[in-house]
Amino acid sequence: MTILERPRHVGPGVDRVDGPQKVTGAARYPNDFSHPDMAHAALVRATIAAGRVARLDTGAAESAPGVLAVLTHLNAPRLATGPSALLATPPPPLRDDRILYYGQYVAVVVADTPERASAAARRIEVGYEPAEPLLDIHDPRAERLPDPWGSDASWGDTRAALDDAHVVIEASYTTAENTNNPLGLFSTLAEWDGDTLTVHDSTQWPTRVRATLAQMFGVPEAGVRVLVLYVGGGFGAGLRVWPHVILTAMAARQTGRPVKLVMTRPEMFTGIGHRPATVQHIRIGATRDGRLTAIEHESRSTVAIEGDNIEPCATVSTAAYACPNVTAHDEQVRLNIPWTNSMRAPGEAQGNFVLESAIDELSHALGIDPLELRLRNYAEVHPRSGLPWSSKALRECYEVGAERFGWSRRVPEPGSMREGDWLVGYGMAGISYFWYQAPCQARATVRGDGTAYVRSAVTDIGTGTYTIMTQLAAELLGLEQDRVTFGLGDTSMPPGPQAGGSGLTAALGSAVHAACRNLVRAFLDAAAADPASPLAGCDLDDVAVTGGRVHRVGEPERGESYAGILAMRGLDELSADGDSTPRTPQEAGMAPAGPFGARFVEVRVDPELGRLSVARVVSAIDGGRILNEKLARSQIIGGTVGGIGMAMFEDTVSDPGTGRIANATLGDYLVPVNADIPDMDVSFVGGPDAFNPIGVKGVGEIGLVGMAAAIANAVFHATGKRIRSVPITIDRLLL
Amino acid sequence: MTTLTVNGVDHRLDLDDARVTLLDALRDRLGLTGTKKGCDQGACGACTVMADGKRILSCLTLAAQCEGREIITIEGLGVDGVLHPMQEAFVRHDAFQCGYCTSGQIMSAVCLLAEGRAGSDADIREFMSGNLCRCGAYPNIVAAIREVAGAGGGHA
Ligand code: FES
Ligand code: FES
Repeated sequence: MTILERPRHVGPGVDRVDGPQKVTGAARYPNDFSHPDMAHAALVRATIAAGRVARLDTGAAESAPGVLAVLTHLNAPRLATGPSALLATPPPPLRDDRILYYGQYVAVVVADTPERASAAARRIEVGYEPAEPLLDIHDPRAERLPDPWGSDASWGDTRAALDDAHVVIEASYTTAENTNNPLGLFSTLAEWDGDTLTVHDSTQWPTRVRATLAQMFGVPEAGVRVLVLYVGGGFGAGLRVWPHVILTAMAARQTGRPVKLVMTRPEMFTGIGHRPATVQHIRIGATRDGRLTAIEHESRSTVAIEGDNIEPCATVSTAAYACPNVTAHDEQVRLNIPWTNSMRAPGEAQGNFVLESAIDELSHALGIDPLELRLRNYAEVHPRSGLPWSSKALRECYEVGAERFGWSRRVPEPGSMREGDWLVGYGMAGISYFWYQAPCQARATVRGDGTAYVRSAVTDIGTGTYTIMTQLAAELLGLEQDRVTFGLGDTSMPPGPQAGGSGLTAALGSAVHAACRNLVRAFLDAAAADPASPLAGCDLDDVAVTGGRVHRVGEPERGESYAGILAMRGLDELSADGDSTPRTPQEAGMAPAGPFGARFVEVRVDPELGRLSVARVVSAIDGGRILNEKLARSQIIGGTVGGIGMAMFEDTVSDPGTGRIANATLGDYLVPVNADIPDMDVSFVGGPDAFNPIGVKGVGEIGLVGMAAAIANAVFHATGKRIRSVPITIDRLLL
Repeated sequence: MTTLTVNGVDHRLDLDDARVTLLDALRDRLGLTGTKKGCDQGACGACTVMADGKRILSCLTLAAQCEGREIITIEGLGVDGVLHPMQEAFVRHDAFQCGYCTSGQIMSAVCLLAEGRAGSDADIREFMSGNLCRCGAYPNIVAAIREVAGAGGGHA
């Protein structure tokens, strides 16, 4: 099959196939589902960060109107533990009297209406025996986990190289705790029928929810069905099976009623993970002419007691530049905080801020343009493995971005550019994002009416999976796009991985590719049963598909339509499965590349008031083959908004004594609003990647990365002030 | 009994609980789930609906206060299954990603035009800032509104 021999690098900007559903309010999110017999759950959260529950008075709640059940550690059923692999499921809720973080659930109330459930929840009285919580990332008593993911790296002799370097840049940086805050309130609706369970859930990983519920409740996985047609964002928050999901299923089982739980916004700050705070230290050595000789990058991030979290920050410095001596070390400290978890570009977001700020510091110290300094240290091969990249167009990112931005107009001296009363700053950052891909399965069907149905149990969290997979399947099957439907969000479909790690498009696209190829092969086999068929004796490589027909390459008239083949054989439809498992770099003989990018930012700073705003953002991204330019651009824009949030606004503030989050509402936790965001220029450069058969790389996270550094570098250029902590708030600018 | 007039239809509701918000009445009692709950605290705009032609936050409005008011929700914006120009523009400009803020953004945008506040990009940005989009579709939201405003605004 030859259809992908010359794939277009940038696919057409097709409108979202689910657009009409979303603009009419017809798209149904997990909390839009209901059941006539449904009861409602409300949560009670701990108001201390460490200690134990000493006393529980649930009498008033139990006798409140409409209340069906009150579950606490005293009466909740004991559950098995969930999966502990990658993004472990937190321990079963309500298992004992210990409190490990502020906001931990101590009870769940079930009532006939949501108002009655939450009113009753407020009548539960909890007495605590508090212990002294560990809340400070610098607390020497906190347990430290060195190299938690085995990602530490060291090559060459970094110490000696730093001693010998002509110039050394050394600095410490901090990044604040951020909270994912998808706009959709996470919700679960659980309904049992004997040992079978149907769940609507706000998740990015329905197959993991199914496996977890089956394991924890001790029921067969085949009897658990998880549905998520639409989800109101996630940004990583939906990558774990959180305790509220388990509690909803538990409440439904205990009451014998379908139970719905809609989290409150304050609960979304403690119950579904957050981006950990980091402190990082970096030393960079270079020659006078700007050759990097050493990078030493150390990072510490936070993790909950009994939690896990993947947050490699220092690792960023092992993949970005050609450098003979590199040491990268990550560690975590355990604190009495709510679970830390992936938030769009985990580790990369914070690690890139440090590396790309330090490179800017170096460029200033050396008097070399920041862009030129990056080009002088361009990593032609993967710096750690030495393997050639499966694709890399970072140089084009720099060139195209600089050109579109007008980087050459930058006057190097800090504080030298002005517009009226405002100081103007130009800043940039480069990005070499990591690669990730998990195994995936998909199934494709072509029916007698010439329509196709392709599906996999994955999610579309707003990234455009529905649309780009429809486009891809249409291309692979030679059908018009409106003849193809892509289904997802239902665990009765073939299993797929999480929408995370910027890895879904490659994993799913490869599985769809395999399924469609297998389906065309099945049609060839069916046709070959008739020796008179023009396709008899054809192999996959001998045919192409166009206009709903399979035909010999270059001979459109020598072929048969799908409908014709089905009719001849008396079949209603034909289906085929496909799966994808990525090769290892060694097998492929190349370093699988994530996306690359360059960001160019213009900021304005009011020197009197310290007000900071972003005037322009230019992004040039190498995302491999772009299936849909319009949607990929949206991913970059959306990520950029998140990056502006990280750089300028977002900071989850906890009370240092109690661990209570002081700004757990959308009024108090600042996120960018429309007025904070300028127009943006986004370009896609490069070409298809060689590591997967469809040539794509994920662009869901890279848009966030580099913004913190580019903005901080622009602030330095505008003011001469180097801000090494994000968010860059007025107080930090006015010092 | 309270009568709610939603999208031109009168609904008789037995509001047994005075705490029921307009948002929950629409979603849970009338099955109009197009209006979304993002915070229930008046901070995100996801629940924006039109009441007597003005945008309001339905999570901060008690259902019992809405007797006699003309409520329009996202479900009532199109006419006879034809998308409102603002809905069309949102699709064309990809002015959403997850889509969760979208009903509120569109209701707000339609009212913005009626308020005469869509004269410049700066105005659009400023007066749409009560509607958070965590997916960060803001530039495309501005582009969609700009286009409809330029074309004369469509019907409200
Ligand atoms: S739900 Fe009403 S403003 Fe957020
Ligand atoms: S589209 Fe997801 S919040 Fe706006």
